[in-house]
Amino acid sequence: MLKRFWSIFRFVIISALIFIIIYPIIYMFSCSFRESSDMNDPSVIWITRHFTLDVIKETAVVMNLPETFFNTVLINILCSVFQVISCAFAGYGFARFDFFGKKILFGIVIMMIIVPPQIISLPLYGTFVHLGLINSKLAMYLPALAGNGIRSGLMIFIFRQFFRGLPGEIEDASYIDGCNRFRTFLSVMLPCSGSAILTVFLFSVVFYWNDYYISSTFFNDNQTVALMVKNLSTRLSMKLFNSSSVQISPREQIVWLEAGCLISVTPMLVMYVFLQKYFIEGIERSGIVG
Amino acid sequence: MKKFRGFEFVLPWLIGTVVFFIIPLFTSLYYSFCNVRIDSEKTTYEFVGLQNYRYIFYTDEYYTDYLIDTLSETLWKTPLIIIFSLFVAVFLNQKFKGRTLARAVFFLPVIIASGPVYNIISGNIQNTSNEQFSTMFSTDLIGELMRFLGLYNISENTEKMILTISDNIFSIVWNSGIQILIFLSALQNIPQSARDSALIEGADGWDFFWRVTLPYVSPLFKVNLVFTVIDTFTSPSNPVMNRILLMQSEWNYGYASSMAWLYFGIVLLFIFFALAFVRKISDGDSYA
Repeated sequence: MLKRFWSIFRFVIISALIFIIIYPIIYMFSCSFRESSDMNDPSVIWITRHFTLDVIKETAVVMNLPETFFNTVLINILCSVFQVISCAFAGYGFARFDFFGKKILFGIVIMMIIVPPQIISLPLYGTFVHLGLINSKLAMYLPALAGNGIRSGLMIFIFRQFFRGLPGEIEDASYIDGCNRFRTFLSVMLPCSGSAILTVFLFSVVFYWNDYYISSTFFNDNQTVALMVKNLSTRLSMKLFNSSSVQISPREQIVWLEAGCLISVTPMLVMYVFLQKYFIEGIERSGIVG
Repeated sequence: MKKFRGFEFVLPWLIGTVVFFIIPLFTSLYYSFCNVRIDSEKTTYEFVGLQNYRYIFYTDEYYTDYLIDTLSETLWKTPLIIIFSLFVAVFLNQKFKGRTLARAVFFLPVIIASGPVYNIISGNIQNTSNEQFSTMFSTDLIGELMRFLGLYNISENTEKMILTISDNIFSIVWNSGIQILIFLSALQNIPQSARDSALIEGADGWDFFWRVTLPYVSPLFKVNLVFTVIDTFTSPSNPVMNRILLMQSEWNYGYASSMAWLYFGIVLLFIFFALAFVRKISDGDSYA
């Protein structure tokens, strides 16, 4: 009896919480395919009376879509690959070797996790102006290549924990067979670390996709999807509502805003649906725990 | 030479860190004691000592208010998020139909919440306040529910607390994805032998939670604590960060830097005290 009550209680709580999480996403779908006038129709809650694809199309035009999208994907994939490579090397160094000053250097890695990017972005902007890299994609690639991409401290930490968990005997065997340190790392350790690589790669993709702060510091016009969403309401009023004949209340504008959100979220959602297992297992196996 | 064995692995990172992290870090610290002026193409720094910091406390009418808001919000939200995620993790660790799906859903906010989308959707949910979502979690309904359950005479503070939770449920659920996952994987590390011996000793679910589950997950309280605090403090939606960004966009670099550094110092202190507090609690834990 108690058990039955407990499982009903659990079902109710979990469904309610799932509803809270799913709600905004359903809301996005619901809003993006309706005419803006439906926002003022009290009888329309989820299902629209006037189905339309115009809102999505207009938002896509405002966001300059095919171009922005490919631009973002390019930056995203390259930065994530660079980040995986550079952080794997650093993480391995911290996990396996006892070089001079290691503790201090690892302290810096922890600092990189804690210091908010807002503190260093200003001087960094100055540096990039100096190097002439503002508005160049190199401003994103170079830090990622040198292990200083978005949240790279966390990524180095994940790799370090992971490599520490691997048994040292396999490396000893490789040294005995005559491999040097690089060879050992590349042909013995890396092939074992698929799960850590995948975790770091997926999280990099997510962080780079969602980042608008760092890219807005380095790019004035080279827009990414996240920047477009961030500035969506300004861009909408510039490009879509600028003639005086159209008057659109903030409540009606929600339709376009939600459409922008939907456009931005869909690639991540699709990725998550297919790779969900790896996201979750990745965190569990990567050794943050224990 | 042996001293530097393996150094080559961290060398690329080290060079990058000096250029992209250490130097900017100290430059920004230097900025915070300066009056930074940007005239056409040329930037001048005039050392002014603590003037920026003094301005924050004595003249700026927003900063300290925002700071207190953010601090107090973090103070009550962090424990709530941690307890909530432990609670959900315990649920998700039990066997029931659709468990995999439920886990996937609870982790879903992680891929969205760090982006600009979160601000728009949480704003829109607040704006369209006459729709189902808000009605369901509106203060009235919760109040009704409490009355229905016969909870008339609970203290005003408890009632206030419950109302705050119900008002903020959206942001709590949306910000605890990683924490749930971390707790969940700790729960899965509880060995079967511990379960078996608890069963033999005749422990019920309640005892099991306090005497087995909690000691197993307690090391992760610290991890989750630091994670949650950093996450709330650095989220671009928090008012102090917005104030700093506003000053930056007005080219007020020196002042923006000192606000950022002051804020960061306070965050560090906060984490330090929180960790000390957690340590003290877990030392006093007699079960372990």
